[in-house]
Amino acid sequence: MRRFLVIRFLQALLALWVITIIVFGLSHLTGSPIDALLPDDASPEQIDNLIRHWGLDRPYHVQYLTFLGNALQGDFGESLKWRGQSALGVVLQRLPATLQLGGLAILISVVVAIPLGVMAAVRKGTTLDASANVIALLGQSLPTFWLGIILIWVFAVGLGWLPTSGYGGITYMILPAVAMAWFQIAALTRLTRSAMLEVLDAEYVKLARLKGVPEWQIVWKHALRNAAIVPLTYFGVLAGSILTGSVVIETVFAWPGTGWLAIEAIRGRDFPVVQTVVLVFAVVYLGLNFIVDALYAYVDPRIRYD
Amino acid sequence: MSEPTREPGRAVAWLGLAVIAGVALSAAGSAEAQRIVMVIDPPSVETNRFWATSGDFGLEPSHQPLIGQNPETGEYDSSGLAREWEHNEDFTTWTFRLHEDAEFHFDWGPVTAADVVHSYELHTADDSTLIGIALLRGAELEVIDDHTVAFHLPEPRPNYLFANAGRGSLHIYSKAQFDAEGLEGYDTRPAGTGELRYVERVVGRGVVFEKVENHWSGEDARYDELDLRFVQEASTKLALLLSGEAHVVVLPRELHQDAIDAGMEIVSSTGPAMQTAWLFNGQYTLPDDDVLNPDLPWLDVRVREAINRAIDREALIDVLYDGRAEPLVQFAMDPRHEGWNQDIADRFEEMYGFDPERAKALLEEAGYPDSFADPVIPILSTALAGNPEFGTMAELMQVFMDEIGLQTEVRELDWAGLASLRRAREAHLTHPMRNAPVRPTEVGIDAYFSSFGRPFNVYEDPEVDALVAEYKQTLDPEGRDRLAQEIFRLLFENYASVPIAAVAADVAINPEHVAGWTFPGVTSAGISHFHLVEPAN
Repeated sequence: MRRFLVIRFLQALLALWVITIIVFGLSHLTGSPIDALLPDDASPEQIDNLIRHWGLDRPYHVQYLTFLGNALQGDFGESLKWRGQSALGVVLQRLPATLQLGGLAILISVVVAIPLGVMAAVRKGTTLDASANVIALLGQSLPTFWLGIILIWVFAVGLGWLPTSGYGGITYMILPAVAMAWFQIAALTRLTRSAMLEVLDAEYVKLARLKGVPEWQIVWKHALRNAAIVPLTYFGVLAGSILTGSVVIETVFAWPGTGWLAIEAIRGRDFPVVQTVVLVFAVVYLGLNFIVDALYAYVDPRIRYD
Repeated sequence: MSEPTREPGRAVAWLGLAVIAGVALSAAGSAEAQRIVMVIDPPSVETNRFWATSGDFGLEPSHQPLIGQNPETGEYDSSGLAREWEHNEDFTTWTFRLHEDAEFHFDWGPVTAADVVHSYELHTADDSTLIGIALLRGAELEVIDDHTVAFHLPEPRPNYLFANAGRGSLHIYSKAQFDAEGLEGYDTRPAGTGELRYVERVVGRGVVFEKVENHWSGEDARYDELDLRFVQEASTKLALLLSGEAHVVVLPRELHQDAIDAGMEIVSSTGPAMQTAWLFNGQYTLPDDDVLNPDLPWLDVRVREAINRAIDREALIDVLYDGRAEPLVQFAMDPRHEGWNQDIADRFEEMYGFDPERAKALLEEAGYPDSFADPVIPILSTALAGNPEFGTMAELMQVFMDEIGLQTEVRELDWAGLASLRRAREAHLTHPMRNAPVRPTEVGIDAYFSSFGRPFNVYEDPEVDALVAEYKQTLDPEGRDRLAQEIFRLLFENYASVPIAAVAADVAINPEHVAGWTFPGVTSAGISHFHLVEPAN
């Protein structure tokens, strides 16, 4: 088990290093922040001053190594858009907002998708099953930004039940969280349904039924426990998708989290913040997948011996 | 007998309660109405340090420049921190006298010449990203007394007031606050001098301001609190307005009709806040300039004229600006500034009028496309904050050009990508441009049509450049006006650009909350004079 975890950890570190190269390379390939930050009538002197001031006149590899060395010490540089603040400070300041929203979206996904998937499997071929399939189909085919806008127009503008956008308490979180969760509900419902169908057909379930175990116990206790490994594996992907999905939803709902921050930083070519956001996302994503791998190995001993 | 006497007493008590409740409700209602929620695009840089922005400053409600501007006309006036000013004969020294009673918020004391010097140093430092900073830089400041400061300039700058007004490069910060708290003090709670003062900034949300009671200028804001929110998504902005959560919203023009249909109103700046044009980049025809690409088809004036005649400006303005804009005669020329040439304005229809047949004839005369090494005209489709219409403009330009037989190709690039090409003087394409707010003539000509605007200029011509050099050296107003007119005539007759529209800055308001707002359209964002927003009740 320990060897398995060490290998997984080293793989995560390697992935993180590759990500730093990709992020640094891509953000610099998009052009110079000078062109996003300086006005159209900037003089050559003004341009040169800023290039020197921000160290953009140094070779790329030097800039990368400096970035990497500083990043290892937690220093991602000063934000170019949110002047006077460190890039990491800006990201950490906005991270709780994303975690709040993402947490609620995950909660909604799990609370809705697992029971729906289970019930669809148990009542296979019924109206309930068909409805679950329709929900799954819609969830996977509706773009989240479109759904977000529709939710705003129906529930905020039309009915006036909830605020349109912005940062605040639970009422502000409901619409963006639902919009974020919608796709995940679809995916998780389908996964749960198919896993349950497989398990419900297993010999031990038939034996339990023959022994007279109540049906609710068979479904929710014995079958779901064994079927849960599939949605559990998906949990890492789910959390990652929620995190990256926040980029679109936070922009639509003006929710000032890291997703919104990423878009604004990209628009302003704020390299330090773009790099920090992506690396923070990467660390969270890799961390969650590491935990899922560990749990998976714990639940299924065959994994760790492979 | 006791009942009848008790009943009137109870009635009076209920009536009293009802009156109190009514007064309380009415007070609550009016208190709510005193808070204005305004939604604008997120600024390109979110900071309390004006010099770290390109001029789209989030603190305009609380911070003032030296020179004020009349909300109706946009003319320079004494509503800023300077009550009067003068210049010497050759415009190399400008002296400003400050209002003696002007004072900073949060008890940071009166505004003095030392604050001006301190602010000037901050704004002109190497890390300044302000637009037009070249016009401000290079001065030696002399403190004459506590309330008088002179700017000694290295060369004549007749337009120096522009650098110190609404769209300028200098806002005044408190030196006393800086000495006590450093830049962190500005980041936390910057003291300004405006009719509203800073309350808080929440990254990603916006900035909140509150009214300064008994403002030193004698004019108080008409409401208690301004909640300035930054929202990017256009449909979210409209939703905020229609749901009643926001009272004033800077909406993309294509959503104005939706807002009007829902009972909202559009308020425009009193004057044009922006000019838009289509530019032929890469016209660098000065001798010995090796950046010129001789294969650009628009180097032939007949092609440029043909494109200008292919454009149905009325239709363009209808589509792009919902008909609420004026056709532009010449990019960078404005009747409010020197160099307005009425003669070319009168000849506009004759020279630039919509005439596709004439356009086709011109192309034929030029031997297009066979006589051109590279006849394809690249059309840039791009997006710029504040100009969401640029993408549609590119599509329409392609339609108009295709219509007369030009070979076109749309290229997509973000604004910063275009800036990168322009900085390298390699923007071999045609693209949209705005002049916002409409800059003084010399600044506008420099920026686009002369080598003094390198590297971002788009047009260089020996004759025009010689005139610009003479214009810059000329100090008497009549001589400058004559030369500027001559420059505009040359640009006009050479079809140096495709002038499109003079456009006001518009905001959508909810009339239940806001009765009106007067602003002249003289800042980068177009909006200003925030204290003049009139609550409906």
